Parts: sequence; C-alpha cells; structure tokens
Amino acid sequence: MAELDNTLFIREMFSKFYSENFNRIEIPKSIENREFGFTLFRENVMIRHKSFSRADDLRDFIKKSVPSNAYYSSAYYNMPEAKMDEKGWLGSDLFFDIDADHIPTKCNKEHDSWICKSCGFKGRGRTPEKCPNCGNEGFEEKTWPCEICLEAAKLETIKLIDILLEDLGFSADEIKCSFSGHRGYHICIESEEVLGLDTFARKEIVDYVTGTGIDVTLHGLNEVRSRGSRIITGPSLGDAGWRGRAARGTYDFLLTATIEDLRSLGLRKDIAIEIIEKREAILESWRGGGPWSVISGLGVKSWEKIILHGLSLQSARVDTVVTVDVHRLIRLPGTLHGKTGLLKVSFPASRIEEFDPLKEAVAFKGGEVKIYVEEAPEFRFGDEVFGPFERQVVALPIQAALFLLCKGAARVVD
Amino acid sequence: MNSKLQFLGETGILLSSDLAKYPFLPESAEEIKRLDFKIEDVLEPNYASILDRAEKRIVEALTSNPPEVSYDPSADVNVEILSFPMAIVLASATASDYIKRRYALAEARRAYNLLKIESEEKVIEVAKRFGWRIRLASIEIGLEKFDFALHFIDYLKSATTLFHEKGWKLVNRLVVRGEVYLSKQDVARLLQEEIRRHIELKIDPKMRSLIPEGIIKRADSLKMMYAEKIKEEPLTIEGLASPDIEVNLFPPCVRGLYEAALSGRHIPHIGRFTLTSFLLNIGIDPNFIVDLFRKSADFNERMTRYQIEHIAGQRGSRTKYIPPKCDTLQTHGLCPGMDELCRRIKHPLTYYLRRKRRRVSGA
Ligand code: SF4
Ligand SMILES: [Zn+2]
Ligand SMILES: [Zn+2]
Repeated sequence: MAELDNTLFIREMFSKFYSENFNRIEIPKSIENREFGFTLFRENVMIRHKSFSRADDLRDFIKKSVPSNAYYSSAYYNMPEAKMDEKGWLGSDLFFDIDADHIPTKCNKEHDSWICKSCGFKGRGRTPEKCPNCGNEGFEEKTWPCEICLEAAKLETIKLIDILLEDLGFSADEIKCSFSGHRGYHICIESEEVLGLDTFARKEIVDYVTGTGIDVTLHGLNEVRSRGSRIITGPSLGDAGWRGRAARGTYDFLLTATIEDLRSLGLRKDIAIEIIEKREAILESWRGGGPWSVISGLGVKSWEKIILHGLSLQSARVDTVVTVDVHRLIRLPGTLHGKTGLLKVSFPASRIEEFDPLKEAVAFKGGEVKIYVEEAPEFRFGDEVFGPFERQVVALPIQAALFLLCKGAARVVD
Repeated sequence: MNSKLQFLGETGILLSSDLAKYPFLPESAEEIKRLDFKIEDVLEPNYASILDRAEKRIVEALTSNPPEVSYDPSADVNVEILSFPMAIVLASATASDYIKRRYALAEARRAYNLLKIESEEKVIEVAKRFGWRIRLASIEIGLEKFDFALHFIDYLKSATTLFHEKGWKLVNRLVVRGEVYLSKQDVARLLQEEIRRHIELKIDPKMRSLIPEGIIKRADSLKMMYAEKIKEEPLTIEGLASPDIEVNLFPPCVRGLYEAALSGRHIPHIGRFTLTSFLLNIGIDPNFIVDLFRKSADFNERMTRYQIEHIAGQRGSRTKYIPPKCDTLQTHGLCPGMDELCRRIKHPLTYYLRRKRRRVSGA
C-alpha cells in the first residue's frame, strides 16, 4: 500500500509541476527529427520511438501523461517513429555525460550501497562488477547526490569545457551545459559540423578529452644523446594542447607528491626520495627548461610514468559509451528526474564555476509534507540543510520530501 | 567520406604541369573540355598514346609493390592528364573490385610522393579542392616544426582509416583552438587517403554498359593478361557470412576488424592477429580465414597461410595463441568504445562466450 501511496504522491507533484511550468520544458532543435522516449509511473517500461512535430504537442503530451522520466535522441532522423534500422539517421549532436558514478570519491562508501538481486548480499561504495557472494551481475543500487560527489563531477565538467574551448575551438555559446538532475552534468554541442561525425571520429574526440591512448613521447618528452651524455627534454607549462597539460599535470603532481605516491608509480625508492628532497629545485626549474635533467638517475621511462600520472589529473572523466553512441536517448532539459524529483536545468558554460545544482535544480518552493524517513544522511537544498534522519517522522518542504520519496528512503504518512 | 571535389575557378596557381601530377583535380576536367576530348575518340589511331598510357597506369598498379603509378616529368602533359580519366573508364570496364582498390591506392601513393616535395602553396591548393579548411602555419615547438594548421573536423574525416596508428590519434596531435598542427608529410599522407577514396568512388563497374565496345575489349584482355595478379575473392560477401559465424555475437572490436577484412580495408598487424586468433579460438576453419583476408589489396596467400597456421599452433611453436586482452587492444586503439557488456569483461573472447551463453539460456 505504502509503495502505491508514494508513487501517487510523486506523480501528483510531477503533474502539478508540469501544469504550472510547461514552458520550462526545453524544446530540442529540429524537434520533428528527434525520437522521444518516456517512462511512466504505472508501468515500468520505456515508451520509445515517439515523435512530435511541434513544441506544443510535446508539452501537451508531458502535461497529460506525466512521465517519470522524459528523454530525446541526440540523433536526428528522417522518420523518428520508425523501427531503429528504418529511422534514417541524419546526424547526431556531440554529447558528453559526466556522472559521479564514474568518478571515484572517498565518500561513496558513506552514502552509496548495493544489494545483489539474486542472493541479497549487500555492500557499500561503488557497485562491484560481480556479486562477491554468488557471482551474478544484477544489483539494486542506491546512490546519493552528495555535495562532494557533485563537486567532483563539476570539476570534471570544468576541465571538459576548457578542452572544448582551448583545444577543439568551440565557442562558449556552442557548449550547452546542464545539470542532469541527479549526480552529474551533460554537455551538448549542436553545431552543424559535428552532426555528421561517425562513431570513430567521436571516439577520437572522447579519447582526446579523456587523454586515452596518449603517448608522451609524441608530446615533447625526448632523450638526446650526444658524446656520452644524455639530455632529456620535455613539454613546458605554457605549451598549448596536451603538451601544456602534460607539463602542468606533472607540476601539480610533484607539488604535493609523497614518497608513497611516487613508489606506487613503480619508481625506485632512492629515486623517490631524491625527488622529494629536490622538490624545490624541480618546481623552480619550470622557469627554465623544466625538471627533466634535475635528477640524474631519472630516465625517460620513469619520467613517462610521472607525466602519465600528471596527465590523468588533467583529463576530463566522461562516460565514453555515451559520446560514441550516435543513437542515444538523453534526458530532456526542463523535465524532472524520476529518481530525485529535481529538475534537469540548463545554464551557460560561463557560469559553471558558480553554478549550484542543489539550488538551481529545485523545482518546488515551500510547502510542507509529513513523511516517515527510513534513513537519510544530511542533505541541502538552496540554503536549507536537512537531516540526518533515521526512522522518524518529519515535516519537510515539498522538494526535500519529494526527493526522499523518489530516492525510496521515505514514505508518505497521513 | 568527404569526396566531393570542388572546382574553385581559375586560381592561376595550378599549371597544366601540376595537373599532369594531380590529374584527379577538377581543373583537369576543364582541361579535357578545352581539348574537346570524348571517350570514343580514344580508339582513333592518333589518340593511341592516351589509351596506352591509361592501360599502363593500371598495369603499373598491378605489377608494382607497394602499388604506385609512375611519374615522369618529361612525359607529354596532355597525355598524362587525359590518360587518367581514361584509366578510370578502363578500370570501371574491368568491373573488378580488386583492380579498383589497387589502382586507387597506386594513384594515391603517386600523389603522396609528389605532394611530400611540393611547395606549401600548392599542397594547400590541392587540399582545398577536398573542402579542407587549411592554412599555412609555420611554427616550431620544441624540436618539431609544423607547416600547416587543419580544422580538426576535417582532420577527423580524412584520417579515419589511420586512427589505429598511435601517431595519428587526435590525442597525440598538437590541437589548438580547433586546428590540428601538421607537417607537410602528414598533410600529404592525409591527402593520399582522400585521393584514394575519391578515385574508388569514381570507378564504377555499373558504367560498363555505357562504355564503347573497343574499350571493353581492351579491359577484358588486360584482365586476362594479368589474371595471376588479380586476386579476386572467390567467395561473395554473402558466401562468407557462413552460418557458423555469428557476427552479431562478436565484441565491437572484433566486429570492426571482421568488417574491415570483408571490405578489404587495411588492418594493422595487431588487428590481424586479434581477428585471426579470435576466429580460430571460436572454431573457424583456417581456410576460411585465408579467404577472408583475400580481399585486402596487399594479400599474399603464402604469408597469410603461414601466419594463420602459426597462430593456430600448427607450425613452429606448438602453443596456441589467444587474442590480446581488452586493455592491450585499448592501448593499440583497436577498442572502438565499449558497450554495456564490454564494461563487465576484460577479454574479447569472454564477451563472445557470454553472449552465446545468454542467447542459449535466455530463450
Ligand atoms: S572492451 Fe574489450 S571486447 Fe569490448 S570492444 Fe573493447 S576491446 Fe573489444
Ligand atoms: Zn549475489
Ligand atoms: Zn559523495
């Protein structure tokens, strides 16, 4: 019974939101060529292959059917309603997905958990590939849009935007940002010239932003031997592209590296100690030709390990699969996320630093709802902090209550 | 991919001696119009030199290794220009897929070797005919010198067949504000790919019915004379997709390599090794694998057979090889992005076995 009441309540809130805010639903470019998909509260299936020729038709549909999630295709099709192989692919936006699920944070042990669907075995932190108890692969996951995780996702987004602007030359206007409504950010580029790129070209772009397959010897790391002595050269801090990132990543890493950090890259102990002892000289050397020859025992191979680690700090962790898939369905901006009751909101790329997802994704202001909370860590919306709660009845503003209900951490009480 | 050539009007930069070097340029067509030349004419005695050179272009493609059409700076410019479209007609008339690919490659390699030593201005003129947004850059960073800056989208489109080589991956290039910085040699190499694709598209076996009888005869006797060199695949693509090969259960990496082999695209060594060892491990007959590779322009039956039998453990070492792990394939750029199942496995064979198992049990 309680399940049903929860769903009814959530649906009612979504319905209220859509009737009052249907203008916030963002209409994708060339709506008539997009495929739409929805999940409904009643059945747990996805309705796919829908299409709408006009913005009003889409908004009306959402208002009337009140989906728990609404998606559109990043692709443009000749016949978006046809079966997959008959749609007639015309092109696809260039899309990036950054999700806390793919970023290791220390706090995920505190707020994320999973339960094996086959044997009921439970654990905390990131979901394993296989159940350690029975070896099966299906899990019930609980994740939390915690502030630290959201910050981590934002940092990756900032790095991605930087690469898109500085290296790939997109303009800030072309880079459409949004908060997903749960644990991450989306970036979408709709410019004419990216639309026709095939999967292989998109793979190159995603490898570029993630630094996958990079070879630092192709970015300036070099050994020149002359008359018995060897000189190592490398990239400089001010260099463009991955060259400069290689240098800056190395600088950042060596700024705070410990002996253990260096040892874990496979460096010899005496070398690791020498690096730490000469840290000042190394950092100072960047003013000139860089640190490549400061430590006499440190050869090209070891530098390669250090630079590669530095690079990994500079790369943007995006979900590769999403970018290379030219038939992907994407949450529609201006709609509510069924797992949180938060809004997927768009914002200009220039605002990324100051953007506060837990304020701007709030869809409901005020109100008060009484709910029974099973368990919830402390959380925040706007300037208000709630919780932690454990097996208690509380009265919360609509958004906070809706959030816990969507998360399955609470139930409505009369 | 992007093979529509653009005629940019009289620029004055490209002379007819340049068109003799790069006869695939749209300006050549203008030149042909000016000379008022028609296909039928070629059968007349005073045009014999053109048909002869056209035939020689194809013969050179078939007999040189690696394939390359010759360039003779002292050759008659008009003959050089006119013999190119004639060779296209002749190649179309043979209706041979092998000749088409081999000839396109040979012309493209000829152009590459000429472009490598061409002036920057002319390289840019040629590149612009392919719609490239390219400009002179001339900067030095570290020990490297870059002569050109090319829009990265144009780079991605033209380099599409080269990404499996580490040095051609976008991430290993200097990319600044939407442009990839390149040396002249790099640009020449990318143009080689564009030219090859362009010529392959021009050679159209369906044209055969429109070609004058006399030329068809020349094409047929050419085919007969070089039958030894022409490695036409005995099996059709449908024939190759034998019921034992469940391509839809292959992981994305192997599927890509398999399709590349079917269409005769170049596959790097590690890719061949991966495909061969994968197919052998799922129980495919070695003879079938030899036939699969037969399509490729640089096919060598003895070598291929040797490699396959070596991998299968029939020769030399008795160990049977298995395909590389996912992370090895990833570092070699052979993993085209993962799908959901890929994320849960570490080896392409596991992917296949899971799929197979699931299909059997999930009925
Ligand atoms: S993850 Fe492994 S199996 Fe999947 S495509 Fe990549 S290399 Fe192949
Ligand atoms: Zn289990
Ligand atoms: Zn967290």
